[in-house]
Amino acid sequence: MHKQRSIPRATTSIIFLVLMFLGVGLINPAFLDINNILLSLNSGVVFTIVAIGIAFVIITGEIDVSVGATVGMTAAICGNFVRDGHPFLGLSIAVLVGVGIGVINGFGVAYMKIPSIIMTLGTNGIIRGMIYVYTGGRWIENLPMEFKSLSQAQFMGTFTWFYLLTLIAMILIYVVMNRTMIGRYFRAVGDNANGATLLGIPVKGTKMVAFMLSGLFASIGGIMYTSRVGFITPIAGMGYEMKVIAACVLGGISLSGGVGSVIGASVGAAIMASISRILVFLGFPSDYDNTITGILLIIIVVFDSVIQHRSAEKMRKQRLAAKVVHSETASEVREHA
Amino acid sequence: MKEVHSDSLLSVRSITKAFSANKVLKGIDLDLNRGDVLALIGGNGAGKSTLMKIIMGIYQQDEGDIFMSGELINMSKPSIALAHGIYLVPQEPMLFPNMNVLENIVMGFKENPKTLQKRLKDLMKQLEWVIDLNRKAESLSIAEQQLVEILRGLLRNSNILILDEPTSSLTFNEVKSLFKIVEDLKQKGIGIIYITHRLTEVFTIANRVAIMSDGLITLSGPVENFDYDMLVRGLLPDEVTMAEHSTENKSKPVDYANAKPVFEVKNLCGNGFHDISLSVYAGEILGLAGVVGAGRTELATSIFGQDELLSGSVSIDGVDITGLNTRDVMDKGLSYVPEDRFLHGIFGISDVATNTTSSKLRNMSKFFIQYKQEQEITAQYVKLFRTKVTGHDQLMSSLSGGNQQKVVIARALATEPKVLILDEPTRGIDAGARGDVYAIIQELKSKGIAILLISSDFEEIVELSDRALSMFSGKINREFSKNEITQDNLMAAAFGVTKGRVVNA
Repeated sequence: MHKQRSIPRATTSIIFLVLMFLGVGLINPAFLDINNILLSLNSGVVFTIVAIGIAFVIITGEIDVSVGATVGMTAAICGNFVRDGHPFLGLSIAVLVGVGIGVINGFGVAYMKIPSIIMTLGTNGIIRGMIYVYTGGRWIENLPMEFKSLSQAQFMGTFTWFYLLTLIAMILIYVVMNRTMIGRYFRAVGDNANGATLLGIPVKGTKMVAFMLSGLFASIGGIMYTSRVGFITPIAGMGYEMKVIAACVLGGISLSGGVGSVIGASVGAAIMASISRILVFLGFPSDYDNTITGILLIIIVVFDSVIQHRSAEKMRKQRLAAKVVHSETASEVREHA
Repeated sequence: MKEVHSDSLLSVRSITKAFSANKVLKGIDLDLNRGDVLALIGGNGAGKSTLMKIIMGIYQQDEGDIFMSGELINMSKPSIALAHGIYLVPQEPMLFPNMNVLENIVMGFKENPKTLQKRLKDLMKQLEWVIDLNRKAESLSIAEQQLVEILRGLLRNSNILILDEPTSSLTFNEVKSLFKIVEDLKQKGIGIIYITHRLTEVFTIANRVAIMSDGLITLSGPVENFDYDMLVRGLLPDEVTMAEHSTENKSKPVDYANAKPVFEVKNLCGNGFHDISLSVYAGEILGLAGVVGAGRTELATSIFGQDELLSGSVSIDGVDITGLNTRDVMDKGLSYVPEDRFLHGIFGISDVATNTTSSKLRNMSKFFIQYKQEQEITAQYVKLFRTKVTGHDQLMSSLSGGNQQKVVIARALATEPKVLILDEPTRGIDAGARGDVYAIIQELKSKGIAILLISSDFEEIVELSDRALSMFSGKINREFSKNEITQDNLMAAAFGVTKGRVVNA
């Protein structure tokens, strides 16, 4: 048997990100300016934090398409309270609502056995509707300057505190997921749920926690969104689910579960955020943004499923072949007997 | 109820379990002592897996108790069984394919990773096993995966190991090394429940035997009290153990003198079967007996164009059909009734007519489907098979199992095949419907269709077949002429015992 070491998929994504920057830099050297690169990353901070959250869900083999609506809802709540002068109350309620949505999703998927795409599509619709009810369809504006400037607070040139916080969260979660037993549960559940059950791993509980984390990070994303954008429309966060799912997949997280890391998700989110900027630098209208995201998503998913199918097929054949090989040796034994 | 000794590792008492109306376990008593290797044998559907899942806490028993060292335990979930030192090595290893070996082994432990790794290295040294801990599980061979499973169990300091057909996908040398390990563990006082379909292994490795049949333990005791014949007889249902020829085959004998085989398979190799040769004559039923996993279904689905063939040939009336796709195979005159009705057989939310004609849609639609023709064909088969339906528009999923199977057979016949492969045609259907299906099969035979009947229900093969073959580990190991087809003979061959001599050492 040969020794097999594969490069982590996140590494491939980082190389892709670097090549993409270099490629665009060849056409328009202004893109490679350090400030521009940092701006690109900064502009992706909300994607990154939401992608980190949804990564938990995808790694356990499920999906959460309600994150965009959760971002919108929590942004509206946060914006409303901040405008009325209760910032801490607003942040707390936003986070509670985010986690609450995760609990509902997790309960439906893990305990009621509703397919996650259906469950979260449903909650997505419900939350979107409730945003209109909550805001009366009006924009939330006139947020205090101090709150808006939080997102602009920088250190080391144009590196924002928000981005630093996101990076710290990413590294902490990476360590928890890979260096602790509990963290590994997520990958185990996504990799082989039946096998996990046999080892006494709480499969349902793990999925529940994954959805709660997804909701939690979506709500943090919503708070960051409020500060960055400065006003909330009823369609805030619309379409974020596709972007962050694409980000995870780009970053090497398999949609069939069990494979990937939050670092991959973050790199993927950086790629997603950069694409919008790249379009500007290449002179394309930004209308193509969503189309390109969609195309990238499909290409990678197809690639991923072909690989998955091949390895499953290889395993099956090997398994069946082993049974026959056995009988060959067995019949030799009979002849000698 | 038998008394529970406090020195026995595991005692189960009067365990019963039913899935809806189907009683799978009917009062099981079983004891496992330290250093025991208890061979548990039994046919498909005898209830072995259900019993093991109850012991593991995956299922809960309806009645009965589980004791460990004399203490009553409520096995309500797998973590309780694990905490009490029970570990199940499933037949198909349940590893995490995307994790490496080390991660796979230590998954689910709560102790410090460093001490855990040290314990693992010590354990491997002690067992003299070499396996690269950094390899990804999906790159491991089945034998290596099984070793990883056993390591998992041992690292948990399990004192009870359940091995579910551990050798079914191992090569000869791997089996030898597994037996050495089992012997080692036995010396250490670990109790092992060893489920197998290979009777020879019982005498090589076990010190006690329990035979399960139809939800009961029919025979058990020290291995010295048993021989092959007793094991084979213990596997048979009660009535048959008395008289060898209990079920009579009433069908007309086939006249082989003037007959030419319709369906011929020569030296066929594929995934899961090797060097299969057989021929079926017009108006003949050829039984193919074998336990699940012997490669019977793989053979049938590969011929039917669902999987690749590696070498050899298949022909109908001399016309080569090797490697054609399913549609072309059907056009050449072969139909297949699949083993798992729910998975491959029925379109549950469609009606009876749609199901019946689904196999020949292409031939009866110009652009729109010919509604009248659809109804005629359906009516013909509903009448012929006495299928109980409220109308042709009744939903398939609302029929009983037996009636569903009739529709599936009708569908296979709607293409007017010359050759019909039936895979477990009466699994999961009641006795009345079973009689009907048998009558249908006999009628097809009298119409001159060549029938290959695949079954692990040997009574069925005895009742229907004109000739029979037995399949064991992907190969045909014996042919039976009509008067040789008995349940004893089939059972022995399907479990790898041929003419008193043993296929597997």
